[in-house]
Amino acid sequence: MKKLELGFQWASSKPKLLLHRSSITTLRRYQLTAHGNCGKRKSAENWVRRSSRRNTNSSANSTRLNSELRSKQTCPKDYQTGVSLLFLLAAMAATKTRGSSFSRAVSAATPSLAPGLKCGPNGTVFLSSGIPDLDKILGGGFTLGSLVMVMEDSEAPHHMLLLRNFMSQGLIHNQPLLYASPSKDPKGFLGTLPSPASSKDDKPRDRDTDQEKGLRIAWQYKKYFGENNPNFTGHRDDKHEYCNDFDLRKPLERQFLIRQHVDCVSLQDSMNLSVLLDHCGTFLSQFPRNDNNSSITTAGRIAIQSFCAPDCGYSNMEWHMLSFIRSLKSVMRSSNAVAVLTFPPSLLSPSFCKRWQHMADTLLSVKAIPDEDRELAQLLTGYQDMVGLLNVHKIARINTQAPMILEATTFSIKLQKRRYLVLECLNQAPIDGSSGASYGTSGSCSASSKTGRLDF
Amino acid sequence: MAESVCRTLRDGGLEGEHAPALTIKDSIASPFGFDVFCHVLTQLSSFILAGKSQSRGLVLVAFCRSPSFYADLLKSKGIDVNSSNKCRVRILDCYTDPLGWKFRLMGVGNLRDLSCEASSTGILCKDVKDTNKLYSSIIELGKGLVAEAKSRFSVAIDSVDQMLRHASMSSVAGLFSNLRSHGQVSNVFWLLHSDLHEVRVTASLEYMSSMVASVEPLQQLTNGQRDDSDKASLTEQNLKKGKFHVRFKRRNGRVRVMLEEFHIEQSGISFKSASSEEVTNQGLLPKVQFSLQLSEKEQIDRSNVVLPFEHQGNGKPIQIYDGRNSLMEGKHETTSVSAGNSETNEGSGGGEIIYYRDSDDEMPDSDEDPDDDLDI
Repeated sequence: MKKLELGFQWASSKPKLLLHRSSITTLRRYQLTAHGNCGKRKSAENWVRRSSRRNTNSSANSTRLNSELRSKQTCPKDYQTGVSLLFLLAAMAATKTRGSSFSRAVSAATPSLAPGLKCGPNGTVFLSSGIPDLDKILGGGFTLGSLVMVMEDSEAPHHMLLLRNFMSQGLIHNQPLLYASPSKDPKGFLGTLPSPASSKDDKPRDRDTDQEKGLRIAWQYKKYFGENNPNFTGHRDDKHEYCNDFDLRKPLERQFLIRQHVDCVSLQDSMNLSVLLDHCGTFLSQFPRNDNNSSITTAGRIAIQSFCAPDCGYSNMEWHMLSFIRSLKSVMRSSNAVAVLTFPPSLLSPSFCKRWQHMADTLLSVKAIPDEDRELAQLLTGYQDMVGLLNVHKIARINTQAPMILEATTFSIKLQKRRYLVLECLNQAPIDGSSGASYGTSGSCSASSKTGRLDF
Repeated sequence: MAESVCRTLRDGGLEGEHAPALTIKDSIASPFGFDVFCHVLTQLSSFILAGKSQSRGLVLVAFCRSPSFYADLLKSKGIDVNSSNKCRVRILDCYTDPLGWKFRLMGVGNLRDLSCEASSTGILCKDVKDTNKLYSSIIELGKGLVAEAKSRFSVAIDSVDQMLRHASMSSVAGLFSNLRSHGQVSNVFWLLHSDLHEVRVTASLEYMSSMVASVEPLQQLTNGQRDDSDKASLTEQNLKKGKFHVRFKRRNGRVRVMLEEFHIEQSGISFKSASSEEVTNQGLLPKVQFSLQLSEKEQIDRSNVVLPFEHQGNGKPIQIYDGRNSLMEGKHETTSVSAGNSETNEGSGGGEIIYYRDSDDEMPDSDEDPDDDLDI
């Protein structure tokens, strides 16, 4: 029987468990720190279940432990987790070969979702942005209940690309849509929405990055795979894909536009933002959010384009606009919808620009690139196909305190085959070795005056 | 370049697209915006008269110069405004009586009727505060100018500063966006003095235009940097020449930046290409990474490489890559078998190996056939 040496060390407010070497490795993975996290509670539970299945446990202790862990509705304090684990480990030390009384819970807790929605970590639900690459970058899509803000560049219309894909995706999934724009006739914009690429066209990229085609070198172990996780039998058979590839040259079929009534609002006439807010409120009342989150039948989308455009009557009432955004965000939190709001930051005073950026849950910005810039062409691969740049400043993290840190925050917007919107990481072009320039002076490392903008 | 600016205006806009709009802006350091405006105006008028442009007529909204000035200007370039047959330019006169004071005084006192002057060339506008009315007058003039319903006309606005004195920014912005989206307007261009307004106003107008042409001094004067004699010569230089800097917003979303020098002469303004410094683009790229992705061709090539110990039991001779490029030769490499329980190799034939156990502590041979690991 293995001996487990347990000990507690109280140092300031960080209790640590001292364990035998073999258990430390498993515990380390779950990193119990002083400030426990709701998300970590689940992983602690899983660890408890898995390790006890290996090492077995007495039934009495296990049920008590089980109920202790389950009864915690809020984030457990660290010492409580520590104490529970202590009990568990004592129990592990006491008994051995018995049948495990922990049984794997069937994940019936996942809510039944309408097509077009996906479950995410920490109890959030995602809906697709309409651009597969953007969904991947954001970790699944736009979180339901969040406010997405896109900072436009007044020199390029790339925010329209994002909006178009977002709106089309909503119509494909039969999600109600509210669209507000400063033009007199917003309905005209609906004619420019793209249609999903049909399967007979070649998709822009093979989405099947089959990492597990089967083991190549360790092919002997295939015989040990019993019930494999059904993750790899992808959801490609579904008629409703979570995110479609949109062909920007094909307009959306009329049946989608007729099936779902799109609420169009013109911002030009509204002098008073409270009218617009009420309109949004009535729209959002169709998708209230319940606490038990059992099933979500529909989710809604709101798209507000160029919110502070100069031809809107309220465009110099900065505080009013800010309070509109604040109120919109609070209404969004209690409904199952996503709002995308685009605005040109150059038209706001700098302090308000910062305030608006802070209001966003997810903040993106698009930028134009100069045309025929030889330096950029030398610096980046694929410069010829690029139409602009997309920056991800902030990603919505609801229900968790852990931020999402991306490897890269700037992506190039390309139109593949002039049809499909593709986001790629910026990649440095190979430095031309044959030119004979030394490493210090070639390419981006040179000390020319232009390199102030590059950031390594 | 001024040439390409005029050419873009001449080509106009596509169906269903907003009309191209040009903002000409200057500042007190180099106050030649009006010269540039007149240059563009005369160029466009000559294109229209020659029939080379998309638009068939031009409506000029005159705020800061009288209509007769423009008539004289165009006449000096060979474009006759007053001839009723081929007249292609109409002027909306907002200079003579913008707020309608003289009109109202006429009724009271005994001022002469002023409307006779304007009637041949255009309409007199008496209320510039009402941008809706201004819009409808412009459209009315334009439609009167081009007879057919499908033809287009250009709109030139003398000075946006004067408009902004009387009307709010949002109404002026609304006017411009309505003009741009009107089906019959081919292009719009206007002049702005940037130091008369807040930054936001200039930014809004730039937001609404597809080309921004700024007139800048050749060298910026900075206070306290040079002594007086230098400053004087610099100012003198700035009064004769300057930089003409244009940003084009292209349809594919990229921005083209161009730079030229201009000279002010007796006859007008002349442009020539920039001599010295290049255009410096504003800062852009944060992190640029090395590409760690594989292109498609590279991925296919990688999957074709035969990895060592890969399952190759397809009947073909088994190849084990040993670091040399002898993969494709199809030599029979002997498979190496683990030591210990060695048996005769395929290639060696004939011999026998008898071994003795080293010690009894070793674990007895398991029942597993070690040959299970082999790829046979």
